Amino acid sequence: MHALRNVLGQMSVHRSDESVEEGELMPTATIDGRKARIRQGDTILDAAKKAGIWIPTLCYHPAVSSDASCRICMVELDRGDWRQLVTACNYPVRRDIVVYVSSERAERARRGVMQLLLARAPESPELRALAERMGVKETPYPKVTESQRNCILCGLCVRVCEDLIGRSAIGFAGRGVERAVAAPFRQPSEDCIGCGACAAVCPVGTIKIRLHEDEREIEISPFKSRAKLAVCKKCGALVVSTQVGEMALGKIEMDSHKAMGKCEEYLERVHLCPKCRRSDIATRFGTVLAYRKE
Amino acid sequence: MTVHGNGQLTDVSDLQHMREELLSLRIASAKSIHVCTGPGCTAKGSPKLYELFCKAAKQAGANVKVLPKAVGCHGLCECGPIVIVQPGDIFYQRVEEPDIAEIFRETLLGDRLVDRLVYEDPATGKKLDTVGKIPFYKVQERIALAYNGLIDPTQITDYIAEGGYSALAKVLSSMTPEDVISEVERAGLRGRGGGGFPTARKWRSCREAKGSPKYVICNGDEGDPGAFMDRAIMEGNPHCVIEGMLIGAFGIGSEQGYIYVRNEYPLSVDRLKQAIEQAKKLGLLGENILGSSFSFDIRINRGGGAFVCGESTALMASLEGRTGEPRAKYIHTVESGLWEKPTNLNNVETWANVPHIINKGSKWFSGIGTQKSKGTKVFSLVGKVVNTGLVEVPMGITLRRIVDEIGGGIRDGKSFKAVQTGGPSGGCVPAEHLDARVDFDELTKLGSMMGSGGMIVMDEDTCMVNVAKYFTEFLQKESCGKCTSCREGVSQMLHILERIAKGEGQVGDVDKLEELAELLEGTALCALGKTAANPTLSTIRYFRDEYDAHILEQHCPAKECRGLFLYEIDAEACKACGICKKNCPEDAISGEKKVPHVIDQAKCTRCGTCWDKCPFTAVMKV
Amino acid sequence: MTDDSKLIEQIVNRYGGEVGMLIPMMQDLQAECGYLPTEHLRCLGKQLGLPLSRLYAVATFYASFRLAPKGAHEVTLCVGTVCYLKGAGAVSEAICKEFGVEPGGTTRDRLFTFQAVNCLGACAVAPVMLVDGKYYESVTAESALEILSGLTKDKETAEKGAEA
Repeated sequence: MHALRNVLGQMSVHRSDESVEEGELMPTATIDGRKARIRQGDTILDAAKKAGIWIPTLCYHPAVSSDASCRICMVELDRGDWRQLVTACNYPVRRDIVVYVSSERAERARRGVMQLLLARAPESPELRALAERMGVKETPYPKVTESQRNCILCGLCVRVCEDLIGRSAIGFAGRGVERAVAAPFRQPSEDCIGCGACAAVCPVGTIKIRLHEDEREIEISPFKSRAKLAVCKKCGALVVSTQVGEMALGKIEMDSHKAMGKCEEYLERVHLCPKCRRSDIATRFGTVLAYRKE
Repeated sequence: MTVHGNGQLTDVSDLQHMREELLSLRIASAKSIHVCTGPGCTAKGSPKLYELFCKAAKQAGANVKVLPKAVGCHGLCECGPIVIVQPGDIFYQRVEEPDIAEIFRETLLGDRLVDRLVYEDPATGKKLDTVGKIPFYKVQERIALAYNGLIDPTQITDYIAEGGYSALAKVLSSMTPEDVISEVERAGLRGRGGGGFPTARKWRSCREAKGSPKYVICNGDEGDPGAFMDRAIMEGNPHCVIEGMLIGAFGIGSEQGYIYVRNEYPLSVDRLKQAIEQAKKLGLLGENILGSSFSFDIRINRGGGAFVCGESTALMASLEGRTGEPRAKYIHTVESGLWEKPTNLNNVETWANVPHIINKGSKWFSGIGTQKSKGTKVFSLVGKVVNTGLVEVPMGITLRRIVDEIGGGIRDGKSFKAVQTGGPSGGCVPAEHLDARVDFDELTKLGSMMGSGGMIVMDEDTCMVNVAKYFTEFLQKESCGKCTSCREGVSQMLHILERIAKGEGQVGDVDKLEELAELLEGTALCALGKTAANPTLSTIRYFRDEYDAHILEQHCPAKECRGLFLYEIDAEACKACGICKKNCPEDAISGEKKVPHVIDQAKCTRCGTCWDKCPFTAVMKV
Repeated sequence: MTDDSKLIEQIVNRYGGEVGMLIPMMQDLQAECGYLPTEHLRCLGKQLGLPLSRLYAVATFYASFRLAPKGAHEVTLCVGTVCYLKGAGAVSEAICKEFGVEPGGTTRDRLFTFQAVNCLGACAVAPVMLVDGKYYESVTAESALEILSGLTKDKETAEKGAEA
C-alpha cells in the first residue's frame, strides 16, 4: 500500500526538471513576499512549492490533472485594484503575478471550506489532521448531506482509475447532493482490476482494500469490486491481482535477442512474491559469486 | 420563383429577387389574421383557433381573400388567446372558438369591430382597438421580438419577405469579418443571457485565438424559473437566430455552429430544425452561401434536463457527451472551449439582435438605451401584475414604468412588495427602489441583477423568507455537486432557511447565512454557486424584519409560512353556516347555528382547510 | 447480432458514431425503450468505445433519463402534515408491503410508479391519494389497496372499471 502511494507520488504530469531552453518565458510568482521563477503554464501551487510555502490540498495529486473541486487551496491573486480568490492547484501562471496565501480573506475562505467538509465528513482522521494543521478545530455546521464513509468527492480515485490505470471502473453518479463515487449501476465493476490505486490516493481513508484469503481475492471497498489474486509459486502468499500482473507484463517490451535468455528468468520471477523474488535473486547472485571465486 | 435548378439561391441578387416576388404575390386587398401560438396562448388552445380560421377561409371560397397565419408570441400573454387582424393592427383578446364566426363575418369580411373582444384599459375603462393604443405595447420597442406576431415561423418565405437574411446578404457582399466585428462593437451590444459581456470583444478574442476549427454556439438552455424570452424567440422567429449566428460565424471565422436547446422545449427544437432545413434548401446554410466562399452549418442538440447546463463550460461538456459540470474559467472558452478549440457562445436574444444591427447600423442601435447598456432587453413580466407577458423595452427604463405602465400595476387591489429580477442568480428589489433604471449595472448595485430578463412581481401576501427558501431549494436541486462550496454551502443555507420557515430559527441564523453567502461568492467554482446566495442576501437586506419575525416571534408577517400565523374567524362576517366546522380535520371549530364560530387555537394545526372552504371569507389569517 | 445491438447500431450510425452525440443517442434509446436498459447501455458503451462508468454518470446526471421503466399507472399518496396525522403513514406502509415497492419506485411488474409527496392541497379530505390524476379521498390502508388492486396494465380497462 505504501509502496503504491510512493510510486504515485513520484509521478508527475509535468515535464521533468531539465534545463530551460533559452528564450522560454519564465514568469516570477511572488507568494507572500517570496519569489519563485517557474515555467509558463505551471500553477500557483507549483510556485508555492518552489517558494517553500504550504497550501493545503485535498483533490490535488501530482500524477493526475487537477479539477479544483475541493476548493481548499484558495488563495488571493493580486489584480491591481482588487484581489481575486482563485484555486492554487490549477491556476496557470502566464506572466509575473503576486499571490497572498496568508491574507485574512484567503485564510477565511480556506477555513470556511474546511468547516463545510468537516460537517460532511466528521469521522475521517486524515481530514481532521489537515483541519488541525490549518487551524480549524471544529465546524459550526451540522451534517446536512450524506457522505459514503466520509467521502468528500474529491474525485482522485475516479481520475486515477481513468487517466493512469485506464480502466474507469468507477465514476461519479448522480448530481448535486446525490453525487457519489460508484461503480456502474452500483454493482461490482467488471472493469476493476483490483490494483488498489484508488485506495492509495484517497485522502480521507474512505476507500479500503480487503484481502479475502480463502477466496484468494482482493476487494475494493465500498465498491464491492473484486479481482483474483495471483499466488506465489514458492510460498503461496497472495501477490497482486492477476489482471495487474497481466497489464504490467503487457507494458514491458521483451526483446529476446537483446535480453538473451533473461526473459525466461524474468517471467519466472514474476510468479513469486517480493520476498521469494528477493531470495531467488540473492541465491542466483550468490551462485555467480561462488562460481567466480573459483 | 427565380431560384436555380436545385432551389438554391446562388447569390445576393437571387435573394433580393425572391423577396420582390414574394411581396408582389401578396395581394394588396387581402386581410390577414394572425393567431398567436406562443407558449401562453397555445396553453389556452389557440392552435385550434388557427385551424378553425383556416377552415372558415377555405369555406368562404376563392373570391374571399383572407389569409390566416399562426404566429409567434406577441407578448400580452395575460390576454391570450390573442388574434390580430391586418391591415390595421386590430387587437382581439381572450378569443374563444365560438368567436371565430363572428370575427370572420364582422372584421374580416366586413370592416366592423367585435366590441366584446376589444381590449379594455382597466385604468380608464376605455376600449383600445389597435395594438399601438394599448399601454402594454406603447412603451415597448421591439428588436429581438420584431417579427414575432408578424410572420409564420414555419415559413422561411415569410421571414424573407419581411427582409430576413438581407443582413447576411449585406455582410457577404460588402463587409469583411473585421467590419462585422467593428460594427457590433460600435453598437455596444452586450450579452443578453445574464453576463452582459461585450459581444464584439468576445468575437474578436475568438477570432484572434489560435486553433481551428472554431465553433459558434447559441445558448438556448433558458432555465430561470419564470423566464420564457428565449423560448418565444426560438419558436416565434427561429430564423433571426440562424441569421445572427451566420453573421457572427463569418466575423469569427467559424464554419460549424451548435444550438443547445433545453430538453423541456421540444417545440423550440422542432421549429429550429424546420427553419434550418428550409434555410439549407435555399442555400442559406451549407457550402458557399449565396455564392460566397463562406460555409456554415448548424446542428441542434437537446439538453438532458439540467439547469447548470446554461453555464457555458457545462454546456460545452454536455456537447462533448459528458456530464454538465462546469470547469474553471482561468482559460477562457474563446481560447479553449468545445473540444478545446476556440469557441464563442452567445445567448438566443444576443444573436437575434445581430441582423438588426447590421441592417440599421450601429449608430441607430447605440442611440437606444443608456450609456453603458445599449439597445433593448426582453423581459418576462410575471407574477402578481395585471398584464403578465413578454415585453421588450429600451434599457434604462425604470422598474416602475415596467410594473405600472406595462404591467398595469398589482392585481386584485393588492400592494406592490418586491420584484425579483435575474432568476436564481438575482435578488428582490423593494418598492423604495422602483425608480431604479433597468440595465446591466444599476440593478447590480441594489443587490440584484438584470440577468436573462425574468421579472417576478410579488405583492404583500408574499413571504420573502419563503422566496429565499424557494430559490435556494431550486439551486440545491440543480447544483452539479462538483465543488464543495456550492454542494455543501447551498445545502447549509437551505437547512437554515427551512428551520426559519418552520419557526425553528435561532438567533445568529442571519449572520450564518451571510457568512455562507460570502464563502459561496468567493470560493464556488462557477456562477451558479457564486451567485446562489443572492436571493437570500437581497431579502435579508430589504426585508430583515421578516426574518426577525420568523426567528424571534415564530411569526410569518405575510401569513404564508404554515404554522407561523393563526387562523381566526371574523365574528362579524361569520354566517354560522357550519361548513368550516364540518371540514376541520381536528374538530377545532365550535359554534352553534346562528352563533359565530370560533377556532380553538390549541387544537388547530393551521392546515388552512377552513380558510379554503368558507364561502363568506370570514376566516382571517392573523 | 441481437436485437439489442441492432437497435444500438442504428442509433450510433444515426449520429455518425460521434462520442459528442452521446446524450442525443441516449435520448433516442430512451424514446425507443421507455427507459435506459442496462444491457443496451453496455452495448452502446462498447460500440462507442466508452467505459460503462461514463454512460452511468451521464444517465444519472441528467434529470430526463430513467434507468427503470415507469409503471403503467402513476400513484401519488400525500404524506403532508394533515394527511400524515390522519393516517397516511399507515397507508404508505401498506402499499409498500403489498406491492413490494418503495416510495419513488415502480412495482416489479411495472404496474404502477409510487410517489409520496408533500401536500396535494386537499387537506379537507385527508388522506388523499391520486391515481392517474384522479383524486381518491379519505383513503385507508384497506381502501387504498382495494383501489390499487383494481389497476390493470391496460389503462383503458382500468378507467372504465373506475367509472362503473
